[in-house]
Amino acid sequence: MILEHLRFRQRVSLLALGALAGSERAETDGHVARCERCRREVEALRALHETLLADPARSAEPDLPLPALVARVEAKVTETLAGRRARRAWALGAGLPAAAAAVLAAGLLLPRLVSRLLPRPAGSPTAEVVSPEAPGVSAAAMARLERTVAREQTARYLTDAGDVLVAVAAAPSDCDREDERVDVGAASARSRELLARRALVVDAAPQSVASARPVLDDVEQALREVASLESCVRRRDVERLRDDVERRRLLMRIRLMTRELEG
Amino acid sequence: MDRPVEPGSDRDLLARLAAGEREALAPLMERHYRRLYRLSLSYLRNADDALDAVQETFVKAFQNAGRWDGSADAGPWLSRIAINVAIDRYRRARRRQATFSPLGETDHDETMAGGEPSPERHALGSEVGRRIASALRGLPEKQRAVFVLRHYQEMSLEEIGESLGMRLGTVKSNLHRAVHRLRERLEGLRP
Repeated sequence: MILEHLRFRQRVSLLALGALAGSERAETDGHVARCERCRREVEALRALHETLLADPARSAEPDLPLPALVARVEAKVTETLAGRRARRAWALGAGLPAAAAAVLAAGLLLPRLVSRLLPRPAGSPTAEVVSPEAPGVSAAAMARLERTVAREQTARYLTDAGDVLVAVAAAPSDCDREDERVDVGAASARSRELLARRALVVDAAPQSVASARPVLDDVEQALREVASLESCVRRRDVERLRDDVERRRLLMRIRLMTRELEG
Repeated sequence: MDRPVEPGSDRDLLARLAAGEREALAPLMERHYRRLYRLSLSYLRNADDALDAVQETFVKAFQNAGRWDGSADAGPWLSRIAINVAIDRYRRARRRQATFSPLGETDHDETMAGGEPSPERHALGSEVGRRIASALRGLPEKQRAVFVLRHYQEMSLEEIGESLGMRLGTVKSNLHRAVHRLRERLEGLRP
């Protein structure tokens, strides 16, 4: 009987709160009918339930009239939407110079590439001798342009990487409260994208971004750690990562290097 | 087959919010704000915090209306947002207190409330209200959330588990522990 009583102890509490249903409720009712101690327990908990029904919070009215509350919510929604639009505009604005430079560079570089890839007619002059693909643009100007594009792309890469690290550090939302796990799925996916982009934007012109190499290496390591996280990860793993980023002062170094690269 | 959407129903209002139609906020709030206020107040035990939590709940509802799948009622969906907002606000307040009041734990209500007491605060300040508030504040976070959703919102154990991201067994054990702690703390209290 004692063992049975222990087995039903939790269910008796739930029964008293009216939280059981179906067969679980029927079984517990059956046990309570046979157990005097459980009947007393149910009575005591029901009395507690009655007491708690007297809590003024159950019937409380908000201090603020509904129209005022609606106005507050609408104002907050407007503010949030304006913030989103501003961020989008900023992102577009920041992207435009780099995109323009990329288009310009592509326009200048494409004929050179095409002329190298297409078979030349016998006896035609080589590119080293004559440079028909970019009339009026000197080799030095072309090199400067390529360097500028590489540095701008690297700056954007670093800014995006910084955003990912900030998102991870800024207390991501819970995905499992019980196990204290947080959702880093988006940051992890973004890190993988950035690591793929790194090879294109950084390794393509290593000389142009040589001064950024130490920061780029640390950023790559941090991104690899984020990319390796599961989407629902223990909070302490994120805190460890954040501590590591702080210890290396990575966000500050990213900001300084971005400014330097953007000239 | 999809259920027809009645004009002015929760489904209709959330669909309009998802389409960015702000005018749908007022009727949705009118229908749910009292209940969500009481839920937030039950958890946070502070009128100003509860109002802020309701405001944040509806902002989040507006932002996430497109993610509501429409298969369930809007009420539990809004309650789920509200309890999670309340938990987050409580955690933030506790962190602030830990940062700015390192010498000892101060009473949440006294620290967070300000200005002249409203009739609401008078009501909450009654003996029963004070004792219940104090007993609830003494519960660990999970037990408190589970108890509030059961007692004040009458959610089923499954709905509570879904709202808080907990397994059913954990919901049951938390509710059992919560009710026994409250019983100890409210010994002798009569309405």
